[in-house]
Amino acid sequence: MKLRSGNLSWIRAAGVKAALLACALLPISASDGSYTLLSTSSATIRIPSLIAWTPETITAAGSGDAFRGLLLARRCNHCHGQEGFSAEGAIPNLASLSRLSIWKQLRDFRDGKRHSAVMEPIAATLSTQDMADAAAYYSMLPVMPDPQDNRTFPEASAKNESLANATLLVSLGDGTRGIPPCQACHGPAGVVNAAPSLATQNAEYVLEQLNAFANGSRTNDINMPMRTVARLLTEDERHKLADFYGSGTGQLPMGVP
Amino acid sequence: MDTAVARNRNIRYLLTAILVGLVWLFLRFPNMLDRPILKFLGRNRPDPKTLHLEGEFVESNLGTTQDLDGSITVRLIAEQYMFVPHCVLVPANTPLRVRITSADVVHMLDVQGTKYTLKALPGVINQTQITLPKPGQYPMPCREFCGAGHFAMRSEIIAVPREQFRKLTHDERVSCETP
Repeated sequence: MKLRSGNLSWIRAAGVKAALLACALLPISASDGSYTLLSTSSATIRIPSLIAWTPETITAAGSGDAFRGLLLARRCNHCHGQEGFSAEGAIPNLASLSRLSIWKQLRDFRDGKRHSAVMEPIAATLSTQDMADAAAYYSMLPVMPDPQDNRTFPEASAKNESLANATLLVSLGDGTRGIPPCQACHGPAGVVNAAPSLATQNAEYVLEQLNAFANGSRTNDINMPMRTVARLLTEDERHKLADFYGSGTGQLPMGVP
Repeated sequence: MDTAVARNRNIRYLLTAILVGLVWLFLRFPNMLDRPILKFLGRNRPDPKTLHLEGEFVESNLGTTQDLDGSITVRLIAEQYMFVPHCVLVPANTPLRVRITSADVVHMLDVQGTKYTLKALPGVINQTQITLPKPGQYPMPCREFCGAGHFAMRSEIIAVPREQFRKLTHDERVSCETP
């Protein structure tokens, strides 16, 4: 009996010792650099956009009232065109873009994650619901507007040679350099949240944005897909891709009328 | 009585051996308990949709980093259809800790020319230790069909001599992309 109790207390003591040792050793494993956030000298955390495509966000962005958006869009019509096709090449066409992409850009303008002297003050006056409403309206506009409209899209068709090069990049990408095909995200082959359809976009605007992504003046793409691709493209290829989409050669994602 | 004492002593020896073994394990593999602890805390299950907002895979923490203990960690995000950062710069002949997660679907990182592959799963951080024996370019294609752009999904890891790597500044080490 005496022995047994002695044995038990020894086991208890050993257990306590083991626990103490474990406690003493835990900080060593916890201080291992792999799990500490930003352990090295990068002092600032760069956040491209405050939007995360959680189900709640997608619901908020997609549940706009298009009729209310129509009324709100009276403020946008002056630059973006009566039917969502702008008269100036540097201003994007909004007709038939996906709701999520329009909503995300407006939010990024409001959060200061994308910079524009014109759009930032406008977005600052809109509520999140206003943005969803305007996005709902523009996403419903038809792709083929009134030809009387003085829009810039589509431009005169591009040269055959540049079209051929751009078609390869758009449909297959460049495997040796690791450039994925444009259509895998921008349609029609695949659709990614907030990747806008480029099939009805102005050439000048596409080129401007590709250059902005490449030189780092636009940084609001989540997890850097566009910055990565734009840096890999040569300047010549950016021009050709802009011509491709601006001349109306691109195809719309499936499901868009 | 004697047999009882002997049995007691044997048990003591056994327990001491186990204790010494445990101490040796802790000292030899200090990271041993990291995974279970982090799993318990929920830290190794990042939300693939919010990688850019919080956690170790925020944009400014990607690429090659040298930790305070001198070990080198490479953090990558796999997404449709690229590994970010697209070009990784590391020292050759040095053990590297590669940590990867996916922002959308399942991808698989394959370091060509070596034996290393690493699966990228959404919501899970996978880690492995790799060593690139000699300087050079190692292509890293995706080996798990991940969608329409899978066949163009290919990034690169560039190993430079250790002395050269030591001279680089922090910003130059992060990746070999031109800013």
